[in-house]
Amino acid sequence: MQIDRRIIYLFVAIGTILPIIFVIGLPVSITPPVQMAFDRIENQLQKGDIALVSFDYGPSSAPENAPMADAILRHCFSKGIKVVVIALYPLGGLSEAVNEVNKVVAEFPELKYGVDYVNLGYKDGAQAAMKKMAENIHEVFPTDVNGTPLDELPIMKNIRTYRDMKLVVSLATGIIGEWWANLVNAQFGIPVIVGPTAVSAPKYYAYLEAKQMAGLLGGLKGASEYERLVVNSYPKLAEVYATPGLYTATKGMDVQSIVHLIMIAFIVFGNIVYFTSKRKPRKAS
Amino acid sequence: MKRQIPLLLTFLAGAIPTIAFFVPQKHVGLVSTTLDSWLIIVAGFALLLGVVNVVQMNTNKIKRQASGWPYAIVLLAGLAIMGFFGVAGAFDKFGGIATRPDGSSTPFDWLYKYGFLPLQGTMFALLAFFMASASYRAFRARNTEATILLIAALLVMFGRIPFGEMVSKWFPLATEWIMGKPNMAAQRGIMIGAALGAASMALRVILGIERSYLGLGKGE
Amino acid sequence: MPNRVHHAKFFSALPCPLLLLLRTKAVQSRGFPPGAFSARTPSPLILLCLFATLFFPFFSAQVEGQSSLSAGVAAVSGSQAAPEAVAAGGSAVGEESSAQGEMAQTAAIATQPAPPVVEGVTASDTRSDEGGSITVRWMEPENAKELGLKYQVLRTDKPDGEYTTVGEAGAGEQECVDRGLIDGQAYYYKVRSALGAGFADSEPTQAAFSKGNWFRFYRLNALVLLVVFSSAVLYYITRARKAKPIYIRKIAGLDAVDEAVGRATEMGKKMLYIPGIMSVDEIQTIASLAILGHVAKLSATYNADLEVPNKDPLTFAAARETVKEAYLEAGRPDLFREEMVNYVTYDQFAYTASVTGKMVRERPATNFLIGSFYAESLLLAETGQSIGAIQISGTAEVAQLPFFVVACDYTLIGEELYAASAYLSREPVLLGSIKGQDITKFLLIVALGLGVVLESIGIKFMTTAFRMR
Repeated sequence: MQIDRRIIYLFVAIGTILPIIFVIGLPVSITPPVQMAFDRIENQLQKGDIALVSFDYGPSSAPENAPMADAILRHCFSKGIKVVVIALYPLGGLSEAVNEVNKVVAEFPELKYGVDYVNLGYKDGAQAAMKKMAENIHEVFPTDVNGTPLDELPIMKNIRTYRDMKLVVSLATGIIGEWWANLVNAQFGIPVIVGPTAVSAPKYYAYLEAKQMAGLLGGLKGASEYERLVVNSYPKLAEVYATPGLYTATKGMDVQSIVHLIMIAFIVFGNIVYFTSKRKPRKAS
Repeated sequence: MKRQIPLLLTFLAGAIPTIAFFVPQKHVGLVSTTLDSWLIIVAGFALLLGVVNVVQMNTNKIKRQASGWPYAIVLLAGLAIMGFFGVAGAFDKFGGIATRPDGSSTPFDWLYKYGFLPLQGTMFALLAFFMASASYRAFRARNTEATILLIAALLVMFGRIPFGEMVSKWFPLATEWIMGKPNMAAQRGIMIGAALGAASMALRVILGIERSYLGLGKGE
Repeated sequence: MPNRVHHAKFFSALPCPLLLLLRTKAVQSRGFPPGAFSARTPSPLILLCLFATLFFPFFSAQVEGQSSLSAGVAAVSGSQAAPEAVAAGGSAVGEESSAQGEMAQTAAIATQPAPPVVEGVTASDTRSDEGGSITVRWMEPENAKELGLKYQVLRTDKPDGEYTTVGEAGAGEQECVDRGLIDGQAYYYKVRSALGAGFADSEPTQAAFSKGNWFRFYRLNALVLLVVFSSAVLYYITRARKAKPIYIRKIAGLDAVDEAVGRATEMGKKMLYIPGIMSVDEIQTIASLAILGHVAKLSATYNADLEVPNKDPLTFAAARETVKEAYLEAGRPDLFREEMVNYVTYDQFAYTASVTGKMVRERPATNFLIGSFYAESLLLAETGQSIGAIQISGTAEVAQLPFFVVACDYTLIGEELYAASAYLSREPVLLGSIKGQDITKFLLIVALGLGVVLESIGIKFMTTAFRMR
């Protein structure tokens, strides 16, 4: 039995809209890959260590990747970890970096630009940039996003290569996240956490199991788990995440849960119809 | 010469980065990174070629009033408006390209935030609907392999949502096991095979055995 | 007990070579309607291995209580309690330290032993680098870790010059790399061992000079693999010219190309060829252009309408040349029109919107989705499926393969895409390269199996041999 696909679309649309209006607030369970990522930042990095956060996604996947970015940045800033932000995604990566950093930094008024965090902007040719940063990051990014030479920024004075950083976090759509794992970690040894979109997440398990990644935040679910972990560990962030009207991955998971149930229901229904229609000719004979 | 020069350039473009991977000499590395920079420059000029082609094609469509010609007007208008504010912003007109220091949006930034971003998000959101219709059509227990696929898909979909854990703690565990073991094994197998295929293809291209991408036919 | 963990490792690592083996076995037909799968029934032995692989680690982990899953879950529940424990311990320490700090410091200085002098200090050029770097090594004193010794590396460029600190190390470390030096210039080093306020300097080293090296020895394994792979490919290419035709298994997706072009011709509708969204520096795009040449030639021969919309400008330029040349080769240059191959836009989803709109309005009979795709793959494939077009897809993007498999009639998976030019042209040289590639894959499978066995019995040779830096 073929259902007109528009009926399926209608059910999915209802399943998407209703949980946004009537927030359910489903619980979030933590999975090992996300826990590994959290533990890396929480237990292995100390106050004053440097983390490189690379915005390798554009506006199309921002609903999935932006909550990850926010959670990672909030975690780093809460712990006193200094953050160097870059963007390697050509279409909108820089805008996303600027928007998310500005949004999160506004929640930490004690932070000083150029001392506690810096945005180096966008660089074309992601792979070439990654390789070159192993030699001298100042040559890849001579100035920050505002045009200030890196030598004038206190945070960048002692940062030359990956050796001066403790962690790379890539929030990625597409292949750039893979390059961080199979190129940068493999060749230069710096721990890498990747936050890919859900559709790309399955292929990252191979790198995670091979210990080429220190953690994985897969899609909106991964982002919601990380939000849960930071909220549990930092009470100040719990207040931030409780702000009305703030888009969070946890709220988005309500929608994903309902839509998953609708899809499962259609699949089961389709199989029931398939099997009953297969049996009917036998009964007739 | 039509054949030899491109093949020689291809050989050099492939051999130099390979040598730079093994030889740490500064000059070798410099040549390799220069090649990367040249690629970016060539791509920039090719983008110009692409824009000229878009304008040409759509102008012809409007002139001939071919099927769908009103869309061509919309396309050219979008190109012109966004391009104008982008170029003007690069010369510091209208306050620049990105957000102004006082937080207000430049025209380019406004068009990006309220035109481009919602359109991008909409297209990406279509995936959810298409995924639903594709799943409904494809996940039928027609044979053994399809049944295994169906069960794995249902387990993963159910285990990834909070409802799964509310029903039983085994669902998220099963999901993680499926993702971490059979899925990972299959992904690795395909990745290794594809990597070898890509390496073989790259070797053929570098050595000039594979020439079809140059538009060279058999015997050329 | 540890043996069961090793057995678990052995069986849980087995799927990889097994799946590779299954992939290289001859599957009679790859063509199947969306959602249906046909393959040879695996032998009982393979089923047993798969069962052991898939379920043994799960059950053994349950018995052992040591699976990564259960360990992960334990870590999850443990870590949620950890912050509170750390906070409680930290506050207790804080209260005591201020009262006792001064007395403790004075006492510590009075009773601290003098740091031992570090011996065996050598300085030499750092291997496998581009120059400007010297590695200083030393022999650590026996009780260094108990004492909590720290080291400072001092450098001067004159034998009796003033030394400056250029590096630091802690107990347990026995080398330090000094960078940013001038090649050919003499440098002298000392290692200072420090313990609290006291320190002791080693004897200065002989003059050391940095220089650029000619080979990265830590990538020797990659070179060996490259040589083995290239040798296999080149050997079979050479042999293919002289020997009988090389067998290549049936790839249904490529066999269906003729049928797909014929369908479009009969229906009088156009064919849409989408060569992926990446540029020509992506090898999948080059493979796609090779197939495009073949499709364009058929299109010229049958006088079918072909359109190739492009997302990347470089691909657009290459595709235009490919199609033009194919029409020329087919003897129908008059049928080629410039607007057949066009550039749409660089934005991924704007391109997708344009192409899906074209599909819905113009309803092509045949869609080719061959190349590198990302999130737009399902949008394109599902739209094509909804208009009833026959669809042949091919990509090496692992994440997008499931979408193509469920929505397209034929899918070229991974290396099948790269074998297409050889398969379609049947040129002996190209087929020889496929054979060489398969031989390398076979050697890799053997190495994987050997590595699994050795790793399971605690010999880590294969793991370290294949490690890449």
